[in-house]
Amino acid sequence: MRSLSQSPKPMQTPAAKVFHWVSFVSLFLMITSGLQIYNANPVFGGRGGIHIPAIFGLGGWLAGGRHWHFASMWIFALNLLWYGVYILVTKRWQHRYASNKDIKALMVSQNQKRKNYAWHRLVYTSFIPFLLLAIYSGIGMYKPAQFYWIVDSFGGWDALRITHFMTVPITIALATIHSQLGRKVGGDRLTDSMFWTDS
Amino acid sequence: MSPQNSSDPNLDPNLDPNLDLDGTDLVPRRRFLTLAGAGLLTIGFGSLAEGVVGGLSEPLNQKFESLIFKPQQPVPEFPLNAIEPDKLIVNSFRGTPAINPLTYRLTVDGEVNQPISLSMQDLRNLPFVDMVIRHVCVEGWAAIVQWGGVRLRDLVAIAKPSATAKYVYFYSADGYYESWDIDSALHPQTLMAYQKNGQDLMPEYGAPLRLASPIKLGYKLSKWVTRIELRSELGQKRGYWEDLGYEWYAGL
Repeated sequence: MRSLSQSPKPMQTPAAKVFHWVSFVSLFLMITSGLQIYNANPVFGGRGGIHIPAIFGLGGWLAGGRHWHFASMWIFALNLLWYGVYILVTKRWQHRYASNKDIKALMVSQNQKRKNYAWHRLVYTSFIPFLLLAIYSGIGMYKPAQFYWIVDSFGGWDALRITHFMTVPITIALATIHSQLGRKVGGDRLTDSMFWTDS
Repeated sequence: MSPQNSSDPNLDPNLDPNLDLDGTDLVPRRRFLTLAGAGLLTIGFGSLAEGVVGGLSEPLNQKFESLIFKPQQPVPEFPLNAIEPDKLIVNSFRGTPAINPLTYRLTVDGEVNQPISLSMQDLRNLPFVDMVIRHVCVEGWAAIVQWGGVRLRDLVAIAKPSATAKYVYFYSADGYYESWDIDSALHPQTLMAYQKNGQDLMPEYGAPLRLASPIKLGYKLSKWVTRIELRSELGQKRGYWEDLGYEWYAGL
């Protein structure tokens, strides 16, 4: 199989790499500081409820978790914003994300590689609605008086809290699957191309 | 470590022929351990640096927060049947102080032209306002509560504030202290409350008089308030929790 490794190296645009890196780091900061905040009053069960092990909480205490959360939120959200504009302007959204072709491939294709690729595109595309949901529900929790209509759209505070929290396990699950599918369709070379390799 | 071969479960033979099989650096377990190590280091050093992160981000966040805050706009209220009587958790930093409501006085002074001292009866004679709002705690829980009392802006107006007043300090009988920006203090739904859910306030909830508002987090809503001081500047001390590291503005 070694002889086959002469196909072109996978390449990523610098914009995609910057976006991927900033997403990766800022999501880590948002999730770990969020878990620190969570522990002040667990969503499930209140003070006597299920706590997250302290080692996963960034900030050391509630105020520290909030400092990190409300600093990182700008980096996280503005990164999504500029990349959203970028994929619109460059029309990457038309061919870089899951489409009907991928759905069709999953249903009828006999080609396992094509199917893996379809799954890969489907999974990384599905990050988008969940990350936007995390921001939307987060704004509602950060400013529930000024954005009362966001709280109302969830039917109340508890539903809003649970939704905001659930974006954490969903994002972690998607990231895990995404990393494995990335290996599956492109191997470590593909992973490297997104993180390190010069293009 | 032996070279990778087809027994590696990650190398399904159906898969991409482009897989780079060179180099033992590309072992997922090693990558995973590196990532986990980097993550734990970030959490460790990041937790130590939380004060720095807060110091850098809080002034910017505060500018943004006060920019989008609408001082005159009331927050929509809830119907009476939305009240959640069991959800309001009692928090205090050193228990409930004993206050005799008959001898209790509230002082309003500082940057005012006419300092005042009021009894509970004086306060009850002022225009009564009530509201059903969401009380939100920094810990993450919230409760819909009805509060009744006097608008703080009405009290401040009686004391005739000077134009230089920019901040409002609240001092409580238990030693708790807080400071607010004047815009939030004069918001129409910032009350000095003596009623909760239609009944006289109980001591553990702040009787005889406490702050209630939908626009600030719970730790800004002092209980057992005995003195309200208007100031032109923030002092070194800005609030019990704030002086320990909590955000000062804490607007909702």
